[in-house]
Amino acid sequence: MFKFALKNMAVRKSRLLLVVLSIVISAGVALLSYNVAQQVSEGIVSTAAYYDMIIGPSGSATQLAMNTMFFTDEPLGTIPYSYVEELRASGLTNAVVPFTMGDSFNSARIVGTTPEFLEGKSLAAGGMFAEVFEAVVGAQVAKTYGLGVGDSIITSHGLNTAGTQHDASPLTVVGILKTTGTAYDNAVFTSYRTVWAVHGSEEHGHDDDDDDGDEAHEGEVCAILVRSKGFNEYYRLSAYYGGNAQLLCINPSTVLREVLDQVDLSARIVYLLCGIILVMNILVISVVTLLNLFDARKEIALMRLIGISMKRIAQLYLIQNGITGLMAVVLAMLLSHGCLGFMSRFVASMGIVLSAWAIYPLEWTIAALVFVISVLPTMISILHMSTKEGL
Amino acid sequence: MIEVTALRKRFDGGSVICYSDLRFETGKSYVLLGASGCGKSTLLNLIAGVLTPSEGSVVVDGVNLSGETQRRKDAFRVAHIGYVFQDFKLIEEMSVEDNIGILALERVDTSHIDDVLNALGILKLKKRRVARLSGGEKQRVAIARALVKRPDIILADEPTGNLNYAIGRTIMEELIAAAKGRTLICVTHDDRLAGLFDERLDMNDIASSIEEGGDMHV
Repeated sequence: MFKFALKNMAVRKSRLLLVVLSIVISAGVALLSYNVAQQVSEGIVSTAAYYDMIIGPSGSATQLAMNTMFFTDEPLGTIPYSYVEELRASGLTNAVVPFTMGDSFNSARIVGTTPEFLEGKSLAAGGMFAEVFEAVVGAQVAKTYGLGVGDSIITSHGLNTAGTQHDASPLTVVGILKTTGTAYDNAVFTSYRTVWAVHGSEEHGHDDDDDDGDEAHEGEVCAILVRSKGFNEYYRLSAYYGGNAQLLCINPSTVLREVLDQVDLSARIVYLLCGIILVMNILVISVVTLLNLFDARKEIALMRLIGISMKRIAQLYLIQNGITGLMAVVLAMLLSHGCLGFMSRFVASMGIVLSAWAIYPLEWTIAALVFVISVLPTMISILHMSTKEGL
Repeated sequence: MIEVTALRKRFDGGSVICYSDLRFETGKSYVLLGASGCGKSTLLNLIAGVLTPSEGSVVVDGVNLSGETQRRKDAFRVAHIGYVFQDFKLIEEMSVEDNIGILALERVDTSHIDDVLNALGILKLKKRRVARLSGGEKQRVAIARALVKRPDIILADEPTGNLNYAIGRTIMEELIAAAKGRTLICVTHDDRLAGLFDERLDMNDIASSIEEGGDMHV
């Protein structure tokens, strides 16, 4: 039976290929769009959940969150470093990490911070920065500019390549991060004291145009990332620093959820488009299956005429359609996750992490639905034919 | 032996075909002659269990097929009846071997396929796709499929209808030779082939059609 089913499929290679291809593309697009939507949403929220509080100068909460979490946009300005010491001394925190940004190396931004900021990230080579003018570079930066441990890099003032170069204050690469698939891959990390030192030593050398006032000088940081000890401590800190008109105190998860809510209309449009794509895909798969069924009905009638029982015919088509459906579903999953892997390279620099290995329960449901659509119509038709008296 | 008794088949349009009582003896060949639409193919389909009679019965070797379920009729057809169709009813994309081998799905012994193909002179075509065969070759394949299961009864519905006379006559002779010792009932409209068979039945004598609520036509 199985051998005959395979032979029957083999003699219809071209049609089988078209059927599988149309199902693979349709189902692949549906699976991909759903997976991307889920990963982007979850990725943003999980990145933000690493710290429960960010303190910066008053201004846009979104800008502060995006700047410190994904290294996008400009810093809001600076606040005194004394807040860092104050927070550490409060006994209410598990981690207090200063954050400064103002310079760049080619297209990569320089983040002045402490080694704690890279907690959870692994090094591909070298060690963590410890002294002033030491730097750890992201994997993509190292790859793009051919950097290795011991190399020197000249940073530029400002967040674009047009700024004045800090020729007198080169940084030494002491470590290279492993690829994270995040914005960290495209950044350079050094001590906040390095940023102070660079700007302190060359303060008078900048053009007026370069100085935008957002850069951190000695005794200043752009933001402070805080992990409080618990809920009570969080609310106490929030109440204290939130009441200071000079400061902005945000919960990054809340802010990013608000951002997602604000773009809810866009999200709804995206989901609506995903829905339309899914419905169209179901239609395409149904049409392909029905066209196949039209041919199959003629063949089934022929087999019945020569005396093959409906039971055998049902078994034969279940095997054939099952193999076709299974092949299509497996290939659709491979296609969608292959595309995810491919896309992850391009969106990593935007701070969006896409993993080719992330599979959501609904994907199995979509895959099962596709499988059922590719098998069910023929089986219903066979059942219907088998209940009819005469041929 | 096949016994047809008070057989009637009613169609959706309201027409009814009524058959006289008939007996087909085992081991003899019969030809049913008549014009198109006179009920020749319908009679074969009723005997084969492809169609269900509206009234009357078809009894084959003591088994009343008319009272059986479609599944039982299908099983009986596989075991006892070889059917040859005018339009071959072959799966064009598949090879000659697979078109006959398909019967193995119903556990029909097809191990002597080479002998049957050889007897019909088409052994060399065994691996060839049916779509690449001529009409005569296709009909030989259809006959081989009907014969390979060594049926008690062979029903042939216009087996030479799509072929020219010379090829048709050759194939008919081959069919009659292959069916030796079995019951063969063959439908044709070609009077010239009737002499090849043991018995000749004229449809005008054995079937009549009526419109329900109307006159009878003989």
